Amino acid sequence: MLRDFRRLARLAAVGFAAAAAMGCQSGASVTVDISVPRPLVQPLDVDMGVYFDDTLKNYVHEEELEEYGDYRIDIGASQVPVFAQVFDAMFDRVIPVIQEPAVEDPTTPAASAAVSFRPVDGPRVAVDGILAPSIDEVQFAIPDQTGGEFYEVWIRYNLKLLGADGALLGEWPVIGYGKANQRNYGAIDQKEVALNEATIWALRDAAAWLSFQFPDQAEVQTWLTTLDDMP
Amino acid sequence: MAHHTGRHALIRPFSLARGGPLALPGKPAIALITVALCAAGCGVQTTVQEVRQAQTDLGDDAIVILSRKHKTQGETEDDFVACVSAGVNGGNDGLPVLPARDFVDATFPWFEPRTAPRTMDDLAGVIGRPLISERIQEIGVRYLVWIEGTTQRSDESGTLQCTVVSGGIPACFGFLSWENGSNYEASVWDVYQGMNVGTLSSEASGTSFVPAVVVPLPFIARVRQAACTKLSDQIKGFLGPTA
Repeated sequence: MLRDFRRLARLAAVGFAAAAAMGCQSGASVTVDISVPRPLVQPLDVDMGVYFDDTLKNYVHEEELEEYGDYRIDIGASQVPVFAQVFDAMFDRVIPVIQEPAVEDPTTPAASAAVSFRPVDGPRVAVDGILAPSIDEVQFAIPDQTGGEFYEVWIRYNLKLLGADGALLGEWPVIGYGKANQRNYGAIDQKEVALNEATIWALRDAAAWLSFQFPDQAEVQTWLTTLDDMP
Repeated sequence: MAHHTGRHALIRPFSLARGGPLALPGKPAIALITVALCAAGCGVQTTVQEVRQAQTDLGDDAIVILSRKHKTQGETEDDFVACVSAGVNGGNDGLPVLPARDFVDATFPWFEPRTAPRTMDDLAGVIGRPLISERIQEIGVRYLVWIEGTTQRSDESGTLQCTVVSGGIPACFGFLSWENGSNYEASVWDVYQGMNVGTLSSEASGTSFVPAVVVPLPFIARVRQAACTKLSDQIKGFLGPTA
């Protein structure tokens, strides 16, 4: 009996030491698949086309942190639900669009050619403009690195506003920042849960910026004025 | 400087236990000492304060308890807010409490960490917007309780070392002690009247220690729990039917 206890205790001690040693190196892998609540904002009276490319829809951030292991943050699945929810609240009418194959025109320089879009479903309909978000960069930090209390995630988007003809009217960086306090996750290491939470807050933060700030951008104001002036 | 190796077992033979059964000299005496120490230091002292600026009437409405999230340090712990929410909601005299996340979602994106109002004036401005006030009335919230503060550990002293002795049994030796201090303040905002109706505060402090002769015996001063219980009772008293 005593021998069994000692064997168990020895195994436990070795296991604990191994776990402690590996704990610093284990990294994390999170897949964030959420939406955000519908923003409480006054919608703009426009027909807005929205375009999500495959890079956005499949975005995965992978990074090896020296001393802290491999990290993988998959946020692709959240992009369409988040933007669709936000745009739906921001505009009276939202029409998902896809990019049409470019038609080569030898008289037009390639760089200045406008991109052409059509609705995902149904016949061609007129839109006032097209919004196309993309992700420029994702960064994250863990408390072991920073010496702070938080798991932190930054997502830098690029948001393009295109005219109905596909010409670029304006583009803006949209920064989403989220953090999760490690003190909320107890003594047991729950870095994946914390990193997931920080990413969710980063997505919400980007959605909040879009809801509040987009209508106030100078280019957007100019564009809205031109729409008002149209017959 | 205090050194705590409890999380990472130190694999090093300890001279007292080498080569034979562990000797446990003075065990009863140590137990007596720790009980005496606990009686002297384990207790938690709490102080509560209340400033009422207006009468309150909850009626059939609910309360929401939120913490401020914009700080980079000293952010109020989520589990403290959850503890206060449960405390206010619990018991025979419990008050209806809407979970903070439900409120933040219902008013998205006005109470996100970067967009939430930072002062009472900002809050008045946000709640004064028709879209927001309509939504808050729709979900039946009358009072917002905003909590600020945190629990900090300080004055740590002593050492505790853990080892695996030759028989394969883990053992710890030493004495570790620290002070915990909780300091929380809650501002109560009346959505209908559009004003701050009062401020409540709860402070608690206590000493925790862990003596160890083979087996560590933690005597933890449950400071945050004490602050939570006191603040919950205060909020109940402030907003309850007898207020």
